[in-house]
Amino acid sequence: MNHAIELRSVTRTFRDTRALDDVGLSIPTGAICGLLGRNGAGKTTMMSLVAGHDRPSRGEVLVHGEEPFENASVLSGISFVRDNQRYPDDYYLQHVLRIAPSFAPRWDADLAAELVARFRLPEGTPVKKYSRGQLSGVAIVLGLASRAPVTLLDEPYLGLDASARTLFHEILVRDVGEAPRTVLLSTHLIDESESLFSHVVLMDRGRIVVQTDADEARQLATCVTGLADAVEAFCRGREVLRAHAVAGLRAVTVAGPVDDDARSLAADLNVRIKGASLQELAIAHGSGDALENSPKEGVSA
Amino acid sequence: MNGVRAAARLHFTKKEMTFAVPLYITGVAAVITVLISLMFWRAGSSIGSPEWISGSRSNASIASWLGGFLTYMGVQSVATTFPFALTLGSTRRAFVGGTLLWAVGTAAYLTMVLTALTLLELATGHWFVGFHVFDVSTLGSGDVTRLVPIVFLGSLFCLTVGGLFGASWTRFGPRGPAVLGAGLVILTLVGLVLTLPSLTTALASSQLWWLVVVAVAVVIAFAATATVHLLRSATVR
Repeated sequence: MNHAIELRSVTRTFRDTRALDDVGLSIPTGAICGLLGRNGAGKTTMMSLVAGHDRPSRGEVLVHGEEPFENASVLSGISFVRDNQRYPDDYYLQHVLRIAPSFAPRWDADLAAELVARFRLPEGTPVKKYSRGQLSGVAIVLGLASRAPVTLLDEPYLGLDASARTLFHEILVRDVGEAPRTVLLSTHLIDESESLFSHVVLMDRGRIVVQTDADEARQLATCVTGLADAVEAFCRGREVLRAHAVAGLRAVTVAGPVDDDARSLAADLNVRIKGASLQELAIAHGSGDALENSPKEGVSA
Repeated sequence: MNGVRAAARLHFTKKEMTFAVPLYITGVAAVITVLISLMFWRAGSSIGSPEWISGSRSNASIASWLGGFLTYMGVQSVATTFPFALTLGSTRRAFVGGTLLWAVGTAAYLTMVLTALTLLELATGHWFVGFHVFDVSTLGSGDVTRLVPIVFLGSLFCLTVGGLFGASWTRFGPRGPAVLGAGLVILTLVGLVLTLPSLTTALASSQLWWLVVVAVAVVIAFAATATVHLLRSATVR
């Protein structure tokens, strides 16, 4: 398979902090990949390495088979706007729109104009005085209008209202259809955006815990609810990712799909089961702190 | 577009900041200079007298004000523009090359402006009155052969040294400029201690002018090279 992005045994440390720990990753060309994980999981660090903004302490980062760091031809095909992007002093929207095409050979001025209008970005205010949602709007303009073959969107939803988020979804789907590209999108609003994803990468504490296509990801875990004893019986022999109890009831997320065996056992024990959504999968893997020092079965968090 | 040209354009995009603000500063400094000259005239000084000319020429307001602004421009040309340049897809080498190109262009522009204004001042007999606004010691005392290198190298000096401080902040955070500033002061003082006897000789043989030009050129080259090295390993976070 042709991979747009590859990381091979990549580690990135900042003094004593290991932001990425021996990460291996392959994202196929043309995928829209959701990058999920808690704050501090290493999502932005990974994007930063892919965009050539940083170098790994160990390992290799490849974009379309080439290292991006200081590689002008590769960098011209990558767009990465950080969630906390800084802009030059006294920069206005017109400056951003005027300079971006000089760096992005595939820049689509009509799309940029449409996004500016539909996100209602003010032209008379310095960019550094924009609200959080307006800054996200500028990042979306840069990310989408660049039509870069590798587009990295770091928390594009921050501060956006519901209408703007829907608008972003619509335009992303439409424009990727018109100009196919590889999109890596980090977000905490998983339920809202999971329909976009063809692939999913889930990170926790600098490591990748899940990387697969989105359909398979939805088969990776099962949510179980019912009386505590029955749920514990169901979980026996299964890997418990997350568990919590209220009074005599227990809700548990276990690894593995909802298959016939599981359905049969659930019926016998009178517990309810359903396939975990991406959000539930991400929460389950992100709650590892509570389970780390406990037996994996029947744990109340 | 070539990466260096694109990076230079990133700076030149802010036309008002690069081209107009230095004119505003020069204009305000000129107005204040004229007002102060009027004040001295009203206080009884004689326009055109040797004391008047000597006093007027010691006015360093335009050089110092422009120097301060250009240093700020140099700092922000790296500190706040570098992260955005990376976001747009610039390489670090192209960014530093483009920033240097912009600094040379800005210095050349200011040199042309101040040369034109100085020539106009000289042609009009110091604005028909005897006011020395641009014919001052810090700008070569009306000698264009001195004005051009002073303004060009002085502007380039402020922009590149400002850029070096911006790069040190980008690379090391607040510690960077503090350590760099202290280091440069110590280095300058040690240099003076070591070269003071020869400087005195050079002064006596009227070579000081060329020594200053060479020293400024060396500092500009050092600042540009150090900026490349600092940004090469800088992490944007």
